[in-house]
Amino acid sequence: MKTIKHIAFFAAFVLFLSACEKVLEFPPEGMNIEEEEALATKDDVLKFLNGIYDVTANFLGGRYQGIADVLGDDLMKPEGNNDLIEVYDHNTTFFNTSTNGYYSNPYFGIFRANRIIEIIDDYDFSESEKQRIDGECKFLRALSHQKIMELYAQPPGFTSDNSHLGIVYKTQSVSGILSRGTLAENLSLLLSDINDAISQLPEENGAYATKDAARALKAKVLFQMGSYQESADLVSTIVNSGKYSLGTDIDRFLQGANSPEAVWSIVSFVDGSIIDVRSGFFNGNYKQFNNGIPLLRATPDFYNIYSADTADKRIIQFFELQGLTPDEFVVCKKFDKDYFNVPVFHLTDLKLLRAEALAESGGDLSLAVQDVNDIKERAYGHSANNLQATATASEIIAAAQYERRIEMFGEGDRIQQLKRRGAIENENIFIRTNPWNCNGMVIQFPISEKSAIFEMNPSGGCN
Amino acid sequence: MNKYYKSLLIAVLSVFSFQSIQAQTITGRILDELGEPLPGANILVKEQPKIGTVTNFDGYYTLTGFSPGKITLIVSFIGYADKQIEVDASSGGEVKVPPTKLEESSNNLDEVVVVGYGVQRKRESTGTVVSLDSKDINDIPTPSFENAIQGKAPGVQIITGSGLAASPSIVRIRGISSISAAGDPLYVVDGIPISQDFFTNGNSGGMNTNPLASINPNDIESIDILKDASATAIYGSRGANGVIIITTKRGRQKGLKFGFTSTLGVSQPTKVPEMLNSSEYLQLFEEAWINDENTGTPSFPSSIPMSWEEAKKYDTDWVDQTIGTGFKQFYDFNVQKGSKDYNYYVGLSYDINESYLLGNSYERLSGRFNGDYRVNDKLKIGVSTSLSRGDNNRVDAAWSGGLGAAMSTALPIYPIYYDEDEYSFDGNGDSTLTASKGDYWLKAGIGNNPVANRELKSWRVREYRSINSVNVNYTPIENLSFIANGSYDYMGQIEDVHLTGSELHGFEGIGGVAFRSPRQIHNYSGFVTGSYNWKINEDNNITFLLGTEYQQSQNYVSGITTLNEDSLLTTINYVLDVDDPYYNLENKENYDFDSTWLEPNKRFNFLSYFTRVNYSYKNKYFVQGVFRTDGSSKFGPNKRFGYFPSISGGWIMSEEKFLKYNAVVNYLKLKASYGYVGSAGLPPNAWRSIYAVSNTGYNNSQIVYPTLLENPNLQWESSTVFDLGVEYGLLEDRIVGEISYYHKRSKDVFLSITPPSYNGTGQFWDNVGEILNEGVEFSITSRNLVGEFQWTTNFNIAYNYNELVSIGGYSEDAVSGGTNDTRTVVGKPVGTNFLVRFSHVDEETGAPVYLDINGEETLTWDPKDRVAVGKVLPDAIGGITNTFRYRGLDLSFLFVYSIGGNIYDSSSKRQLGVVDEWNKTPLIFDRWQEPGDEATYAKLTLDRTNLGSTTPWINTDLWLHDASYARLRNLTIGYTLPRKAVQRMKLTTCRISLTGSNLLTFTNYPGIDPEIARDFENATDRNMSPNISYLTPPQEKTYTLSINLTF
Repeated sequence: MKTIKHIAFFAAFVLFLSACEKVLEFPPEGMNIEEEEALATKDDVLKFLNGIYDVTANFLGGRYQGIADVLGDDLMKPEGNNDLIEVYDHNTTFFNTSTNGYYSNPYFGIFRANRIIEIIDDYDFSESEKQRIDGECKFLRALSHQKIMELYAQPPGFTSDNSHLGIVYKTQSVSGILSRGTLAENLSLLLSDINDAISQLPEENGAYATKDAARALKAKVLFQMGSYQESADLVSTIVNSGKYSLGTDIDRFLQGANSPEAVWSIVSFVDGSIIDVRSGFFNGNYKQFNNGIPLLRATPDFYNIYSADTADKRIIQFFELQGLTPDEFVVCKKFDKDYFNVPVFHLTDLKLLRAEALAESGGDLSLAVQDVNDIKERAYGHSANNLQATATASEIIAAAQYERRIEMFGEGDRIQQLKRRGAIENENIFIRTNPWNCNGMVIQFPISEKSAIFEMNPSGGCN
Repeated sequence: MNKYYKSLLIAVLSVFSFQSIQAQTITGRILDELGEPLPGANILVKEQPKIGTVTNFDGYYTLTGFSPGKITLIVSFIGYADKQIEVDASSGGEVKVPPTKLEESSNNLDEVVVVGYGVQRKRESTGTVVSLDSKDINDIPTPSFENAIQGKAPGVQIITGSGLAASPSIVRIRGISSISAAGDPLYVVDGIPISQDFFTNGNSGGMNTNPLASINPNDIESIDILKDASATAIYGSRGANGVIIITTKRGRQKGLKFGFTSTLGVSQPTKVPEMLNSSEYLQLFEEAWINDENTGTPSFPSSIPMSWEEAKKYDTDWVDQTIGTGFKQFYDFNVQKGSKDYNYYVGLSYDINESYLLGNSYERLSGRFNGDYRVNDKLKIGVSTSLSRGDNNRVDAAWSGGLGAAMSTALPIYPIYYDEDEYSFDGNGDSTLTASKGDYWLKAGIGNNPVANRELKSWRVREYRSINSVNVNYTPIENLSFIANGSYDYMGQIEDVHLTGSELHGFEGIGGVAFRSPRQIHNYSGFVTGSYNWKINEDNNITFLLGTEYQQSQNYVSGITTLNEDSLLTTINYVLDVDDPYYNLENKENYDFDSTWLEPNKRFNFLSYFTRVNYSYKNKYFVQGVFRTDGSSKFGPNKRFGYFPSISGGWIMSEEKFLKYNAVVNYLKLKASYGYVGSAGLPPNAWRSIYAVSNTGYNNSQIVYPTLLENPNLQWESSTVFDLGVEYGLLEDRIVGEISYYHKRSKDVFLSITPPSYNGTGQFWDNVGEILNEGVEFSITSRNLVGEFQWTTNFNIAYNYNELVSIGGYSEDAVSGGTNDTRTVVGKPVGTNFLVRFSHVDEETGAPVYLDINGEETLTWDPKDRVAVGKVLPDAIGGITNTFRYRGLDLSFLFVYSIGGNIYDSSSKRQLGVVDEWNKTPLIFDRWQEPGDEATYAKLTLDRTNLGSTTPWINTDLWLHDASYARLRNLTIGYTLPRKAVQRMKLTTCRISLTGSNLLTFTNYPGIDPEIARDFENATDRNMSPNISYLTPPQEKTYTLSINLTF
């Protein structure tokens, strides 16, 4: 009996302790919080939205531009950086840390955009606020996808109906193993997002996305697709707003301010002790430190195209040939600043785009000539080198491309134009020694993407 | 009258009583096989179980208090076979029993094994448990006890760490069944699940933390290794990878006893890495220069900051500059005393363990007190407490520098010092002295001058470890007892780094800089158990155990909280412009390192309930049932509690009539178990959705962003384990051993998944893998010769088949073994070498030829052609020990071996690849030079594209080798001085021994050491990439002289 009492007492004691399950529950420690707390208020949602801009700034603050230009023909081999050498050699592998790191960033933003679109109705936003937030999310989602598409999929026109493989265009936050869509499907979703953004975004939005930003994005996408007239019309809407001007300064990468020609920029913020530099890739890789050799240097071939024209402020001000034959290289001084705002869409790009689009589509050639001449006059400071008003379409196209190449140096534009000319205009384009459409002209996906239903890009580069 | 009779009765009784006392004395002496006394041996009267005694220091015993008659004495002593002595004590007076010699028992079936929350007689145990005693653990001098287990426990794979002092080993029991969770067994010290974090300091300097090094091996009484579900289910969610129970020494000697051990030794590498000298390096560089169709004097790439002519001036043997002979000293002093009411053990030890790497040592000072006090017949209190201080004087190694640099980027053409003054000139021709003769030559960076790096950097990791417990045992009535145990395990690390000339080390500081990084782990636990032994009748016996346990662990880190230049509160871990490490600073009180805070997301706890029921019938049939439920903060809210049952049975067949009188088989037990156990080696809080807030987001505005997605279903890994075993004793236990078969299927294997990036979520944790481990273990101990000349052989072998059954549809690369190119390939073992296959070197061109994924030859290296070509897990492991004794002399040698499996020498891709700023090994001489050459290595080139790749360093199976080896792990010659001689010295025992470790290695591996556990980046890496070498220092070869005294 005594035994039973003791055992019963002990069993009761153990059972009593079983009520202590609550000790297993405690909140996370430090700065970390769970989603329920992180997104508790409307203000939290806005911070979450700002987080999309944050990652967008990470990949558009030079990483996208740098990889795109290394793929192209304006830069020398980036000696010492094995990842970028793979890009330069048109033969990236799925272990390339730099390109893999680049690839993941836009998708971080896309996940966040999708999540906000999914939960926005749970918060007490006004209808106009909801519209704006939804518009910003769709703009950023579109922009992010576009910047992956440009590097990881062959361009529009690679196949006549764009039935070739594009990327995963993600419109839901839920995780899963997915397959790549065709480029046609990607473009359809992309344009749908941009159209929504154009209708929902405000005309003015501080450092954030506006209707014009969405229009500019659409104009560029359509231009790459060969929809020249529609593209030119969108540019006209932006130009005619009168909100942007080319100004007289050939430098649009300004420290502490947006260029007057910038339609939308990635903003670096420096104020006293607050330092948020979003142009680090440019600073770190183009800038010449202590007379050393920068990682990214223009080719002498590029330099020689423009160097004879000593009146061109752009070649004089932004480029310097150094070293002795055969080890010559060209330092680009355009980014020789501690920090600056990075214009993502700007008037120079759009005007040259419109000029070429009008010329290609049989549009208003006088407007096209004016667009080219606006750029020339700023570069020379006078109109002596202007195109004649009677310039033919092909002359306009050639002039626009000539201006574009030096104006947009370092902005990751050149490779896209070469691909467009190869794919849409059927030009026999070679990028250095490789055809514009060889396998290595697109970056290989990270190995993490590989699955039974996700087809990787063909490997082996362009050989 | 009454008074008269009373007096008479008292007188009569007194006489009888006196006679009775006189008649009830038995005296004798218990000796070992050598005739040496065995103090502390137990003497029990078989017919009167409550009567007994123990031998004194000289082995003598005096037994009184028994009822006269013919009785049987049972003599027992741990490590020796019991002996029964028939004594006729019916005639009264003192009976003198002739000296009794006990023989060592290799079976120890009547020993007890520690099984978790209790002990069992091995005979009655239905689990698979390997028990090692103090002698097994201390026969080889190692700073960390787990190294000594190697080759002695079947199915327990120990891969000793590198040659760095106190580097951690990898311990795997019955293969590996975890991938991203810690695959280590659970370590329990005196009932406490201790902190066992190998990554408190990441892999800084090329080495992980060894949380076991602070335990003094000499304090360990026994180690019990629990392997099957029957044994481990009592540890529930933490039992799947096996449990290692460490029991420390307690006073068990009657009277006072002192022990002293001193060891002196030296350390050298098992093999000295061979690298090219200066002229050889220049010769090969020039050959590559010419092969690449360059002309003229070769010029180096910018990464080699000197001219060709300058390079010819120097020839530095950097390997020689980083290694030498390490000296080892170990002193241990202990006192123990035992009595009826109390016992204690006090140990104090000091260990200085230098490795062969110059500047590298591990110094441990440790103390222990274990005591028990019997308050009364019902209540006993025990205390176990230890405090140790381990100073690891670190040097950079492997990829971090030191010997690693000597094997790679510290080229022989670099001098140690400037041999003349050096000036720089400005545009005007004015000169400035930039370096003086005798200064360290640092043009290639301090990392490429290992001597300067060592001398200008002081690096000490001091660890305080204290493991403490209080144990109260209450026995209110016979056969019923309650135990309450509370414990506290503290681990505090203080890492101090001082850099002389901070700018030389790439740190933007002023003058010297002293870093300090304090870290602490507080681990509290306690359990309460109740057990009742119900002896139903002579044949039936049931023992019940019921208990509950709670454990909580949390980490703290510290730093100096100060104001930065903008007057904002900030935390730093360094002091600028100082000439000494922080601990030597005179004004260190000015820097408050007491600002301690909880390290985010490291806290976890467990709440558990468990029961065990053992039933025995006729002392030959045994059944055991175990059930445990574990709740943990590590598990997601939907899976907070796991349930872990096991059932097992044992049948001593040799007790049956058909075997009882068998001439050959004297003991045979069949046992089987089936159970469900778990592994909870996942990081705390891995299930939570974690969002972070940053005040410095885009456009100077706050941002909120997710860092980890929630997985509320995250849970323990679950293993279903079936075990079938046979224990045997033949020829009166001259041959004993065990054979086991196991089948372990682990599901819900915890993976740190790298999901497709298009999900935009980064890594997350999930239970998606499935792993099979199946194997056979065999052990045998044969006393080949007995008598004055003795020869005993212990042999064990374990075969394990490991297969990754599923990885939830993810690709081979979704989980990667760090930088080591091991991958998760379904149908292959965990830790599969997944590489492009190298075919041969083209005889005509010297180009390397690879195989594509279809096996077709190709000149292009493409990672898409990777296939499973090797595995880091061996097929079989084991060890064989032979021990010879003749009088006081003993000789033993242990060979450990590993059969099958591969080793991947990851550094070969640079040491034998494209000619660049890495030095090469002499193996490169077997390279292609001209058409017709049959060479192992391709034509030398400075341009990687000539090797068929745009990536500079190419992983192929050319660097994959057979890892089979046999190693003379331990060779010991000892001499135990004769008793008479030691008595003259006032000693009880005295033994002198000479031990050599890792003296011989037999292997086909062309690299440095076929047994290697490099530094790891995380638990996944540790599970998937043992036997990967990357400039890893080879293990050490030691020679030690020891003296053990008791008095």
